[in-house]
Amino acid sequence: MWGKLIHWIEVRIGLEELVNKHLKQYRTPKGATFWSTLGFVTLIAFIVQAITGIMLLLYYIPHPDHAFKSVQTITNEIPYGWLFRLIHNVGGNIIVGVIIVHLVHVFLRISYKKPREITWVSGVLLFFLVLLSCITGQLLPWHQTGFWQTTVTSTIPGFLPIIGEGISSYMRGGEFVTGITLSRFFSFHVVILPVFIVTLILLHVMLIRRQGLSTSPSIEPDTDTVPADEFKREAHPEGEPCFPHFSLKRLYMVLVYFSVLFFILTFFPNLFLPPEANIPADPLTTPQDIRPAWYFLAPYQLIKTIPNDILGISLIVIFSIVLLFWPFLDAKDAGRNIRRRPMLLNLALIVLALWTILTIWGMYS
Amino acid sequence: MTRYFIIPAVVLVGIVSTGLSLASFRETFEKEFMLSPWSIAKGEISACIQCHTSDSMDTAMQQLVEDWRESWHAQNNISCHDCHGGAPEDASMSMSHQRGFKGAPKESDIPEFCGTCHIAIMNNYLKSGHGKTFLETGAGPNCDTCHGSHNIQRASMDIINEQLCSQCHTYERAKEMKQALFLVESKLNSIDKDLKHLRLLGIETDSQEKAFFRTHAEFRTLFHSIDVDAIRIKSSDYTEKLEIIETEINESFKMLAFRRNFSAYLFLLFVGLSVVVFLLLKSYEKK
Repeated sequence: MWGKLIHWIEVRIGLEELVNKHLKQYRTPKGATFWSTLGFVTLIAFIVQAITGIMLLLYYIPHPDHAFKSVQTITNEIPYGWLFRLIHNVGGNIIVGVIIVHLVHVFLRISYKKPREITWVSGVLLFFLVLLSCITGQLLPWHQTGFWQTTVTSTIPGFLPIIGEGISSYMRGGEFVTGITLSRFFSFHVVILPVFIVTLILLHVMLIRRQGLSTSPSIEPDTDTVPADEFKREAHPEGEPCFPHFSLKRLYMVLVYFSVLFFILTFFPNLFLPPEANIPADPLTTPQDIRPAWYFLAPYQLIKTIPNDILGISLIVIFSIVLLFWPFLDAKDAGRNIRRRPMLLNLALIVLALWTILTIWGMYS
Repeated sequence: MTRYFIIPAVVLVGIVSTGLSLASFRETFEKEFMLSPWSIAKGEISACIQCHTSDSMDTAMQQLVEDWRESWHAQNNISCHDCHGGAPEDASMSMSHQRGFKGAPKESDIPEFCGTCHIAIMNNYLKSGHGKTFLETGAGPNCDTCHGSHNIQRASMDIINEQLCSQCHTYERAKEMKQALFLVESKLNSIDKDLKHLRLLGIETDSQEKAFFRTHAEFRTLFHSIDVDAIRIKSSDYTEKLEIIETEINESFKMLAFRRNFSAYLFLLFVGLSVVVFLLLKSYEKK
């Protein structure tokens, strides 16, 4: 009976074929490490955000008079509402951290080279959209921290010449952060951005499935055997089958992600919820030491440090554009081993060090 | 092929942009949202503050605003017009008597002035020794004597002190009063501290805060009668009421402990699973 049922399903779905083709026969290159699983961890983290977000959406009311109260109700009255809220809050911060590490790893392995240029561009675009999701999400609970962080963050584009004021005004829906901003951010956070994010994730995953994981630069030969205008999927006969080897690596890293998440929830539940995050938004009272979320501290500090605001914001815009289109700007003939490219390695280390210094500086300034 | 992607993207961006900037409900939105009490626009318009902080005022008049900004009233959004009347949103009518402007009260009017809001306290005060002396002589200890005028701070037992009370009479009677207040007062302070702590941890404390505020206000009202015996008799009633609030606060702390334990359980579960998967991975690698 059981066998018949399995067969019935198998005929219609072809699960066995799916598992064989995409997991058992699908080979990952030799040297695919735990770091190579970070993209998958990001995907799982995004699914966690989506599920917890939907749970919060059931009770959240996007109106200035009710938003704070509704979040309080979720946290205190809805069974396990506190868990969903904290996972969403902490998970939103972890996802940014995971994406940054993933991005740095891909960059240091120079995995963005042909044929993976579009994969890189879609990944960086995804990173920008996740940051936008964080910006729009922090206002929704309508607490002091979110309100003033939004006020600060929405001021930053205003420094751009000509279009800056327009962008700031468009973000806020007026001169100040008001109910219009809340309504606008809510629409972006729960509908518009997720649609774009899911589309880009599909594209990103589709490209990775087609191209396969990139080989470790220390193994790959310096000379490209495939002609410049052709694509040939690498078979990786020396590598491992995706299942169980690489799948277990992925599972392990996902479990590490959940361990970190619940470690923060247990020992530092208010790490991303300062005391002001439990006070309703009050436009008349500016909290002391208001600063953006940790992932915006570096650009924020850069703008604060550089006396000319236009120069500061321009540097950020230029950096973002360079990051987005980096595969097309990098030397085409250079190899993939970053140890043989000291200029590029130093550039990456300098940017990382600057970013870290500016973040720490922004935290304590 | 590209057009199949470009056309829907352009249409989507177009719809969203047009919808956000030109929607007909924009005006309704602005009316409803922008003019709400939480809107920055309303708070910024205060003719009293604008005028009193301008250079046309002398230093003493400017200092009034500074004193108020640091007061308990300011922390609770009690502004100039709440006590002095007038129309703060309209500079030309801000001091119009037609708009209810009262200005600064004469000394004999101070209890009535403050009693507009603190009604029960005023009634008890007028029945007390302080109030009777004030009514008989037209001077003497009134609200301003103990609490000051613009820089009014949150009332505490520290107001009863030898320096202040000895201005009019010996400190002995006041000391007895302070002793009678001590137990309830320390409970009030401890509950207040716990409620603040819970609130900053994101625990909803509305009902406890309302009960606390009620008990706190009743107790303050009773104190203004300056009747030591009445305070001693009623102290146990207040203690009982405060103990109920304390029980609810303890429940909230237990709930926080449950949350921590639950998260710790999930943390240990995932750490355990990670170890198992890691060992499994190693065993496959050996094979």
